[in-house]
Amino acid sequence: MMLFKKKKKQLSKGTSGNVNSKTRSNFYLSRQNTWLLWLCQCLNIAVVAMELSTWMLTIIALSLAWQALLLQQNSDRATTSRGKHPGTVQSNLANKRHSHGLSKQLTTNVSPVVLGIFALLGCVAIALTAKQVGILLSMVHLLCFSYALKGFELRTRRDFYQLLLLGLFILASALIFRQDLAFSLIIFSLLILNLTVLLQFFSSEKAFATNLKVVVVLLGQSALLAMVLFLVFPRLSPFWQVPFAKSAETGLSDTVKPGDIANLTRSTKLAFRADFGTQKVPDYAQLYWRAIVLENYDGRQWRRQNKVTTNNTAARSIIFDASNTEVLPLTYQVFVEASFQKYLFALAPAVVTGNTSGITAQTDYTIQSSTIISQAKSYRLTSYLTAPLALELSPQSRQINLSYPQGSNPRLEQLALQLQHNYVDVQARAQAVLTLINQQNYSYTLQPPLLINNSLDQFFFDSQAGFCVHYASAFTFLMRASGIPARLVTGYLGGEYNGVTAEVNSAGKIVNKGHLSIYQYDAHAWSEIWVAGKGWLRIDPTGAVDPQRVNIGWSNQLLQEQAELNNSFFSLYRMKNITWLNTLRLQFDALDYQWTRWVIGFTSQQQYDLLKHWFGKMVPWKLALIIAVTLVLSMLMLMLLLHWLNRPKVKKQTFAQWQIIYHKAIDRLAKQGIEKPLAMTVNDFAKKIRQQCPELAIVFTRLSASYNRLCYQTLSISEQEKQAVTMQQQYHHFIQVLKNSDKKHL
Amino acid sequence: MAITSFSLVKPLRRFLDENFERWLAHRLPSRREHQLNSRNIMIYPTRFGLTYVGFVVLVFLLGTNYQNNIILLFSYLLASLFISVMLHSFYNFSQLRFYSRAKQQGYADATLYYAIKITAKKTHYDINAHFSDVSLNSPIVNMGQCKQGTQELILAYKPSKRGQYKLGRVTVFSEYSLGLFKSKAMLDFGHYAIIYPKAKSLIAGQYQLSGQVDEPNRESYQTMNSVGSDDFLELKSFVRGESKARTAWKQLAKGQGHYSKHYQTSQGQLTWLKLSDMPSNDLEIQLAYLSFLIGELTAAKQSFGLALSSDMANKSMNIPPNSGFEHQQACLTALALY
Repeated sequence: MMLFKKKKKQLSKGTSGNVNSKTRSNFYLSRQNTWLLWLCQCLNIAVVAMELSTWMLTIIALSLAWQALLLQQNSDRATTSRGKHPGTVQSNLANKRHSHGLSKQLTTNVSPVVLGIFALLGCVAIALTAKQVGILLSMVHLLCFSYALKGFELRTRRDFYQLLLLGLFILASALIFRQDLAFSLIIFSLLILNLTVLLQFFSSEKAFATNLKVVVVLLGQSALLAMVLFLVFPRLSPFWQVPFAKSAETGLSDTVKPGDIANLTRSTKLAFRADFGTQKVPDYAQLYWRAIVLENYDGRQWRRQNKVTTNNTAARSIIFDASNTEVLPLTYQVFVEASFQKYLFALAPAVVTGNTSGITAQTDYTIQSSTIISQAKSYRLTSYLTAPLALELSPQSRQINLSYPQGSNPRLEQLALQLQHNYVDVQARAQAVLTLINQQNYSYTLQPPLLINNSLDQFFFDSQAGFCVHYASAFTFLMRASGIPARLVTGYLGGEYNGVTAEVNSAGKIVNKGHLSIYQYDAHAWSEIWVAGKGWLRIDPTGAVDPQRVNIGWSNQLLQEQAELNNSFFSLYRMKNITWLNTLRLQFDALDYQWTRWVIGFTSQQQYDLLKHWFGKMVPWKLALIIAVTLVLSMLMLMLLLHWLNRPKVKKQTFAQWQIIYHKAIDRLAKQGIEKPLAMTVNDFAKKIRQQCPELAIVFTRLSASYNRLCYQTLSISEQEKQAVTMQQQYHHFIQVLKNSDKKHL
Repeated sequence: MAITSFSLVKPLRRFLDENFERWLAHRLPSRREHQLNSRNIMIYPTRFGLTYVGFVVLVFLLGTNYQNNIILLFSYLLASLFISVMLHSFYNFSQLRFYSRAKQQGYADATLYYAIKITAKKTHYDINAHFSDVSLNSPIVNMGQCKQGTQELILAYKPSKRGQYKLGRVTVFSEYSLGLFKSKAMLDFGHYAIIYPKAKSLIAGQYQLSGQVDEPNRESYQTMNSVGSDDFLELKSFVRGESKARTAWKQLAKGQGHYSKHYQTSQGQLTWLKLSDMPSNDLEIQLAYLSFLIGELTAAKQSFGLALSSDMANKSMNIPPNSGFEHQQACLTALALY
């Protein structure tokens, strides 16, 4: 709504021409500032460029280029006219005016009518595509479009302000789509740049760098108050429903074909992080992060079993009963990045601990979020790693996990029958397949050859090169065909341990052992077979072909392959091989983790807990009081800080010891009722003392003489010191005499 | 209904304005020199500042609705920026000293310049000044950067009619650092202007100066006797320091002693500029002629008096004959105030 209003305003202004001739005549942007503003426009739009459609980007790029052209012509003319009267400041000023006139003329070259029609057309186009891209994105389109067009009519100061605020709003809305530390830092630096352009308008005489510094100082001073607000200002629940972005889903998907996950592994994007606190991080080979269980196979791809809706919630909540197991629990916190999907990650079997709202455990030991994860989210889990999964298998489930399209992979089916005949024991049969894979010439690669119709036969007997899904699929198929209930599971394997976040508290106790970062390239697929009395057993055929992948992580060969595929300079392979770069990467990852944990993940619950921790039990009036007091306090601190920074700089006179002594003596005398007028010389005052208090005469005269000597005679440093010591003694003498005379008087 | 409410608003507004004026007069009395401090600086958000607050609220709503902590943090940062800009705005403006002379005089339709000396202890930015009274139509003078030391701002005022004008206060303001706040001070230097009637030249022969009644008419006032003309008066004994040109050489040669010749100025031919003698029926035009004549006579170093009242005995309205710059000023002032 707001945007539409703005747009309307802009249009009406375009046609009505001048609004306020007074402000118009006042408005002048320096050349440097105009270009900076243009740069700001480009950068601000670049931040959301990922979300814009191509046609919109083209239009924006064209209009920005056009603006640049106009500016260039403008400055060319200005320089030619400047050439005519070189020198004095006055002519320079005249030139400013002159070029200003030119700019006016040039900007009006783009007739408001044309601009209006253009804007209208753009709005119509946005409205037409709104259905396709969603409301949120069409709003962003509109915002960027008006921002780009606004640059054409920079006539008054008001236009300038509007342009700047629009730019800031674009920066804010860019944060809807990404919130990680790197992106936030980019947004923050752009905020600085935008504000510098504004500041430059008010102090154009200052250098750009100085203005930049001023803005940084301003923001630095504001940071304190902002932090306090962030900590204590209550988190409100949404006021109304807002459209969410229909962003591309990242990560795993509901259907898996052989070769799918190999594509995913090119991405070095973060999937999630796990923090085990003070507990030992489990071995790499145990870190099977379960996400999706795929039970339906149609001969080409694996699909998730559509949940039977009759499942009542009561049954669902006790999918895994932790009280029956004696396995040691492992509690950890998971921080998921936005994936725009619903599935979450867990080390099965797991129980959701802590705040369970919005998270449900599924019967297949996966957990899911009730809403699409559109921004970073965290949850707490307790896993019992070695506990068995589902000791009982329902007939329905058994049937699903045994079915396969007959005749889809005849050679594998034949092999399965052979295996069934040779190995009666279920586990031995599975082991036989693994041995087969291990001993024959199978290879593990990111670039498997394409399979016709995703034929598993072709993979298993002909190409014999594939990635995890190939092996897991073929293995599961073999198992099903040989009569063992089996299913495919996708998720992530392992994770990168980052010890930078490890903390040791003051008592020498380990508070945190660091965290695991799991990236998209850790995506993995494995299979599960059901064995009577043992439940679902995890079998990872990848371990048979590439044991390193399962036990330590990516082999160098895989990393190299990935680097070739990605063709980027900052590939993971390069990063991991250059030590300092890798350390830097880990440091940044640790920072980003803390950012995710404490800033992005700072929920109202955490806020409440924090305040409770600091101030005890929370009651509404107390909360209000805390907010008010902290706000006032931080504002006061800010004011004091600024007051202190801006205090008039008076050079404090430093007094030597002997000067202080003399003044002390005078103060003592003043207490006695004998004051030294400022204009009176030291000698005259001594004379006065001699007349008024004869008993002090000798001591005070000596003191005065020493003072005069130190003041006016040129003495070497050693002489000065000597004299100062003498003066000190004289002062003590003086005090004694003074006290004695006091006693006498009493 | 609308009309009545409008008429109700007006007196209220006048009442508020008057009260504000009284309060200002009490708080910021007229002085030649002012130093900006928390007593006299008013600081309030500009329109842009208010829009900015609205914008921050908008960003806050965005953050709340999307439950997005980073957007919330962004809005908090912008909100705190508002506060720190206010303080910066204040400190940029305070501690400036202003000094200006109160009185300026000049002819109607000529521009008067009021110089305001600004003394700064550090560099201040974006200092603007104009007369608070909008009806004076004085342009806003801008000083982009006010460096440490003393600078001068010049306010222009172009009156069109003669008379004495109180120019009221001078508004000094600054929108540094981000235009969110306007720091403003309304300083009263007691500025006033005395505007002489614009000189209107008299065609030769149109008017004769009225000297003493018995004085013969002349062709034009330009041929009037000038001060110290050559009518010989007497000889006085020479006083050291007197010009040798005046020495009575004849007497000295005769051995009668050293005398110097003294001449009679046109004492007897006192000239009076009379308002009633001006050849027009329009008072303003008559005054304009007088203004012209005063200028001419002063330029010619001629002594003259100004009679604005036909009653020559009226001391308050008439200025006795004299000459010189001060006399000219006095006469012109009398014209301005008539």
